[in-house]
Amino acid sequence: MWSRTLSGFILGLLLSISVALNLNLLLPIAQDVSLLIGLLVAFPIWAGVQVWSYSFSSAKQAWLKGTIVLAPNVVLSTILMMMGLSA
Amino acid sequence: MKREALKALTNAHAWIGLVISTVLFIVFFAGSLSLFRDNIAQWESAPHFANEHSSTQISLDNTIAAIEQQYKIYMHDEVRIWLPNKQEPLTNITFAAQLPDEQHQDLDLLLSPSSNKIVGSGDSFDFANFLYGLHVDLHIDEFGKYLVGLTTLFFFVALISGVVIHWRKIIGKFFQYRKDGDKDRLLDAHNVIGVMGLPFHIMYAFSGLVFNLLIIFQISYAVVLYGGDQQALFKDAGFVDTHIEEANIAQPMVGLDKLMAKAKQDLGNVEFTRISIEHFGDQSASIVFIGKDSSQFSTRKEIRYHIASGQELYKTLNNYDNALRSGLSVIASLHFGDFAGYGLRLLFFILGIGTCYIILTGNLMWIEKRASKRKVNKLGLHLVKAMTSGTFIGIIFATGVGFIAARVLPITTVLRSEMIIELFFVCLFATMTASLLSKQSLFTTWLCKLTAMILVAVPLLDWLMFANEIILMVQCQRFDIIVVEVILILLAFACWKFSGQVSTYDTELQVNLPRQDLSNINVNH
Repeated sequence: MWSRTLSGFILGLLLSISVALNLNLLLPIAQDVSLLIGLLVAFPIWAGVQVWSYSFSSAKQAWLKGTIVLAPNVVLSTILMMMGLSA
Repeated sequence: MKREALKALTNAHAWIGLVISTVLFIVFFAGSLSLFRDNIAQWESAPHFANEHSSTQISLDNTIAAIEQQYKIYMHDEVRIWLPNKQEPLTNITFAAQLPDEQHQDLDLLLSPSSNKIVGSGDSFDFANFLYGLHVDLHIDEFGKYLVGLTTLFFFVALISGVVIHWRKIIGKFFQYRKDGDKDRLLDAHNVIGVMGLPFHIMYAFSGLVFNLLIIFQISYAVVLYGGDQQALFKDAGFVDTHIEEANIAQPMVGLDKLMAKAKQDLGNVEFTRISIEHFGDQSASIVFIGKDSSQFSTRKEIRYHIASGQELYKTLNNYDNALRSGLSVIASLHFGDFAGYGLRLLFFILGIGTCYIILTGNLMWIEKRASKRKVNKLGLHLVKAMTSGTFIGIIFATGVGFIAARVLPITTVLRSEMIIELFFVCLFATMTASLLSKQSLFTTWLCKLTAMILVAVPLLDWLMFANEIILMVQCQRFDIIVVEVILILLAFACWKFSGQVSTYDTELQVNLPRQDLSNINVNH
């Protein structure tokens, strides 16, 4: 149980940060509104991933599936950040 | 959802519930009482000053002058003033007093609004703040704050997993409570209260996370989006910096009444919740008037003036004109239940205590399931039982004793508040130890009954000691004492009822366990 807790905790945290950042970088809205939206979505995503992680029968599966979801988000965040830096 | 996934989730739900149960119970119990924090604060202090009446003509200049006659106010700290109102008739002022050798001492004083005479120390009446602190960080400072934050995160996880597990029956078995026969009453109680209070639980899980773990996202935003520039993040988040550097030139602190009248005019419909003075006695000193617009939902207004020149430094009529600050303000209003009257807070209180019952039933189901197994770690089971009875009931017992002490200890007692807090923790540790060493069901039954009697004793003591003062307060439409007495009687009733349930439940468990296979209790949701 502890290993699945760890996978959900870390992957959920990273995914929630990544999604909140992507929304902030993608949405053409005022910065304060964007920060609020990020805050509103971040915690439910974190808790949701944690629950998802518990639904697997092994920690290995939880890490694998979670990473598959996290990876494209991190890639998108990186691309958006680089585009922002070069602009 | 596949059966294996559902089973894994059900086991996780039970496991998370058990791991977070102690902290979550304390947080919800103290939080439920903290909904009435202002009432509890008035319950403790007001009977001692029942003859003081609120005045609508408050002079800030006279208040400050009265303080300056007795203390030299330390410039580098903030002076905070809470003006009297109908519910709280005394002026409350906190500041640091300058002592010889660059030392200073924090003071919290209560002043009569009519004479500006110091009538008491706010530090002596701290039980409401103590309970609130227990709710926020268990009185373990930063570590406690993050521990409560993590507990709240896993409470959110338990909520979502509970909904997923119960999803197919969430409508059909909405009101199911199998009181009789061999059906599982604990499970039904857990589900019924859980489903009915779901919006309330989600709101508290989310808002609690925002209060205690926001720092994580603040850091990530500051590092990734703002390149480490935290000030830029604060600016976008609506935190306005109006700080003026200290000039180290003496400036008399006069003309505050004029600024207060101007603030009322500039802010419009507002009730000041707090007034603060920064750099008291210095030419750079500024005064800020913070208030709430009671005609609008969760709207904070604020205005800051430079005292020496009277120049306006910052004004907002709507939550700092920032969506994030507005959002946080709404979240705070929902969490504290301060956007409506006593009815809403009483509902939140009942739901909060209901959540404590959910936590309790969750633990009892875990104990029941574990006890039914052939290979059982007796020590582990005993520890969980002791934790459940000793800590859960113990915290209510300790709170009841705290209320008694807050009522009977004379206000002249040195370190009065500290004594009450020490007594609270002594009682809590005593019940925890006693629960480890005694027969659980008997101990729980008697502890519940004793707690109920202690809770009921509080209103009796109120009326024995302060009957005239209470009547006087009620005549002035100040109902704090009555409100606190009502919630304590409700708690006492819950404890008494629960003591009966424990003895019945224990008897049935002893009779049924050998014949009943309870190992599938959770997967049979």
